[in-house]
Amino acid sequence: MLLLQSHSRFLLQTLLNRAQNLEKGVELDHHWVEFNDVRYHIQVSMKNPHVLLLSVSLPTPPSETIFVCGLPFGAIQAIKAAYGNILQILDPPRDGFNLTLKINLSKLPTNQDQRHAFLVKVASVREVVLGAPLRVILEHLAARTVASDMDPHVALVHRPNESFFLFPRADKVTVVFPMRFNDSIDIVLATSFLQEFVEARRTAGLNNTPPCSWSLTPPLELKEVSVDAISANAGFVTFVIFPRHVEGQKLDRTVWNLSTFHAYVSYHVKCSEGFMHTRMRRRVESLIQALDRAKPDLENSKKTSHNRSFKRLSIKDSRNNSFS
Amino acid sequence: MDPSSPRPAVVIDNGSGYTKMGFAGNVEPCFIAPTVVAVNESFLNQSRSVSKGNWVAQHNAGVMADLDFFIGDEAFSKSRSSSTYSLTYPIRHGQVENWDAMERFWQQCIFNYLRCDPEDHYFLLTESPLTAPESREYTGEIMFETFNVPGLYIAVNSVLALAAGYTTSKCEMTGVVVDVGDGATHVVPVADGYVIGSSIRSIPIAGKDVTLFMQQLMRERGENIPPEDSFEVARKVKEMYCYTCSDIVKEFNKHDKDPSKYIKQWRGIKPKTGAPYSCDIGYERFLGPEIFFNPEIYGGDFTTPLPVVIDKCIQSAPIDTRRSLYKNIVLSGGSTMFKDFHRRLQRDLKKIVDARVLSSEARVNGEIKSNPVEVNVVSHPIQRFAVWFGGSVLASTPEFFTACHTKEEYEEYGASICRTNPVFKGMY
Repeated sequence: MLLLQSHSRFLLQTLLNRAQNLEKGVELDHHWVEFNDVRYHIQVSMKNPHVLLLSVSLPTPPSETIFVCGLPFGAIQAIKAAYGNILQILDPPRDGFNLTLKINLSKLPTNQDQRHAFLVKVASVREVVLGAPLRVILEHLAARTVASDMDPHVALVHRPNESFFLFPRADKVTVVFPMRFNDSIDIVLATSFLQEFVEARRTAGLNNTPPCSWSLTPPLELKEVSVDAISANAGFVTFVIFPRHVEGQKLDRTVWNLSTFHAYVSYHVKCSEGFMHTRMRRRVESLIQALDRAKPDLENSKKTSHNRSFKRLSIKDSRNNSFS
Repeated sequence: MDPSSPRPAVVIDNGSGYTKMGFAGNVEPCFIAPTVVAVNESFLNQSRSVSKGNWVAQHNAGVMADLDFFIGDEAFSKSRSSSTYSLTYPIRHGQVENWDAMERFWQQCIFNYLRCDPEDHYFLLTESPLTAPESREYTGEIMFETFNVPGLYIAVNSVLALAAGYTTSKCEMTGVVVDVGDGATHVVPVADGYVIGSSIRSIPIAGKDVTLFMQQLMRERGENIPPEDSFEVARKVKEMYCYTCSDIVKEFNKHDKDPSKYIKQWRGIKPKTGAPYSCDIGYERFLGPEIFFNPEIYGGDFTTPLPVVIDKCIQSAPIDTRRSLYKNIVLSGGSTMFKDFHRRLQRDLKKIVDARVLSSEARVNGEIKSNPVEVNVVSHPIQRFAVWFGGSVLASTPEFFTACHTKEEYEEYGASICRTNPVFKGMY
């Protein structure tokens, strides 16, 4: 597994389970949290087992991003386009959440494949909502136009109080990620990981992928953005997306991969830490073995390993003690 | 962490058979997956065959092998479909044996199943009461170093099983936990939330032995099951059809009189040829769970029945706790799910206790009447993940966050902070 799937595994499992056992009126009330602070709440009541309420809360947006009624711009249209009339948007949403969807399970498509595809789509609600603005911009890129009302630079939220930046042009979109990590070890690992990442782009097999670069200082495009928004401790990654990257089917994947880029890097940093620990453990074991081999007499060491940690008096000893 | 809206803690209960994982505050875990890792070993063998000098290839092969693995049900299907993957079980008999596999298992649980960022959540993990302090240190090291968790609490699973009961009835933290998992069976007395360490009993019969015993019974009867699949079939049969009987002889008679009612059919497909087969399931339906009550039928050195072990355990506990211990015997773990298991246990235990009371009364010639001892075996509907549920309850209280070991403490003092658990520092 190198890339995260766009649907939430647990949400899909729950939805499939529900859709299969529609008649069983079992109550359901579950909260959970995904990476980048996306929270979900799913609820089914006994009275209405066909109606499922799904609430989603998004990461807190920083001041530079544009939110309309608590959602990124274009999200409402994206939800309507993706789900049609099987699903309703409740207004106002549940307390503490940005969006509440009401799904009528009895209206699901009867065809098995279609139903599965629809439920996968519902489970990827995060991609639909958070990726909506990115999708709008990339759709314009596919048509080689720029929306007339668009700013020269657009900030989109991807983590709590953090955003990444887009610079849409008619023939390309430049995407800049300021990379931030909390832990000092993570910063070092992420920096070298990103350098390797850029290096790997240069290999022959990857000629058609979006060009990417990494720099420790903010790239020139970011000079109009406020300094607070672009403080980064692991450098800046820039991707240039061309129209060929967003043609037809590729659009969905590009949107998802871009909006979860930070999670991707963070996951790989954790993987490499685990990898190093495995090596360290193996090294310690081999050193201990070497030490064991170096012990002068094996018989003695075998005895001590069976001995208890405290000293036991034998009967003879105790007798000597008491009589003397 | 944002104090205004704390994120729920992640609760992971790693058992020898299944791992239960989810978020605190919920009633059910998000996922219940087999604790197994399928590792691709073809890379390692390849690198051994190439010349020693080619370290880059060797290194890359190692890196690839480290990323190429699966856990849970995916691991089973991968190992079945291709021979390049081999299965490892990181936990055996309730203890972590393979830390590399365990670390990978956690990694997949967190990133691919729960899909959460470990830096955002406090974690609650469980361990058996007999775990060595070193292994707790290892767990702490992996959690703090690899995953950068902000806080960690390693709970004792039997205490959690008791905590699971306290929401359904009243707040009762005294009782005996009979934890029969897949790999280990422990009888743990707990008084006011503290484990009575000296009285813990463990027996070498657990869920896996039931499966092995049933596999053996079906093999000896000559059922038509492909040998490579027989363990899995036995496990599924155990989970679906087994029950506890009140008397073996009567149960044999019932089966013989009316076979059509009791004998079940199992249908499967041979993995190699794809041909369908079917086999009968007869006496093993009640003989499987019977090994807890009559261990001698399973063979092996261990012949003390489970009720006797529980009785001995309570008798070795401090005298002022015994009555309340008898009153609250809590079952947890998947292998206590057999139908009527708690009734049988309660009946057998009551017999032992009553016999003892009678004999002591006889000794004083009936001059002193003692109060009858109340024996109560509690079973609740969520026994399968009672430990997880207890963890979920515990981790959703505000006190949980103060009881955790935090990352700051870890950086200040090192892994030794995880060595001890306060529940062992009771008054006994």
